Amino acid sequence: MARPGGGQLSMSRSGRFAAWWPRGSADLEEGREPDPRFTFANERTFLAWSRTALALVVAGLGIVQLLPPFPRVPVGRHLLGVPLIVLGAVLAIVAYGEWVRNQRALRRGDPLPRSVMPWILAATIAGMAIISAIVLLVSALR
Amino acid sequence: MTDHEASGPEPTGPGTSETGASETGASETEAGDAGLALERTSLSWTRTAISFAALGGVMLKDNVITGLLILAVVPLIWRLGRPPRSGSPASGLPTVGAMRIRVITASVVGVALLSLLIAVLGPSVPGALYR
Repeated sequence: MARPGGGQLSMSRSGRFAAWWPRGSADLEEGREPDPRFTFANERTFLAWSRTALALVVAGLGIVQLLPPFPRVPVGRHLLGVPLIVLGAVLAIVAYGEWVRNQRALRRGDPLPRSVMPWILAATIAGMAIISAIVLLVSALR
Repeated sequence: MTDHEASGPEPTGPGTSETGASETGASETEAGDAGLALERTSLSWTRTAISFAALGGVMLKDNVITGLLILAVVPLIWRLGRPPRSGSPASGLPTVGAMRIRVITASVVGVALLSLLIAVLGPSVPGALYR
């Protein structure tokens, strides 16, 4: 059984990037106007990811600016906060790419492509959890 | 969780207007769902504007200019998210609102870059949570 979006696995790297970016205003107007509910759902999903990105930025800024310094780990706050802020920026850009890809697929009647965003978010948060544990352990050691 | 997951019946497949509803009253149901989808999307834009406002308020504590810049984006986002004032729900349906999506993306990336600058270069207030 063909996997949705499986055809994209054979794309070159530049082709994959091009799929995430509209090639002019006409690119998102080709095909049929999809069911408006799908367009709205795609837009809401994008907005939800944007709010997630904003929350990550706030969390990162809060860690750097408001937490007390970790004993024996002077860069601990930056180690935890800066990656969260960067992840927020990355999520916002990738969310736009996902919106473009989904909207294009909806207009063409193609299967929806697989989303990489949950993977990015899960991997980064898992990494941050490990870094947090290390920073806390080091700061707690006497 | 995305908003549409908890929002009642959804279409069964992408790209078309096939909803799986019975022939009788199908167009009426679709029009109603589209109206509700428009409402949900408008509310989602409102939540996004509130998120920006909250971040702007937090940022005011650290850096007044940056906070004001972020707060200045809030009315724009609010305005972008307003549903079109057309006669019927069907006539207010979107084509592709790529521009407002780009505005949100640029805003979030800009806010993240400003936050990064403040986090790396700006003075911090260690222990402010305990005051």
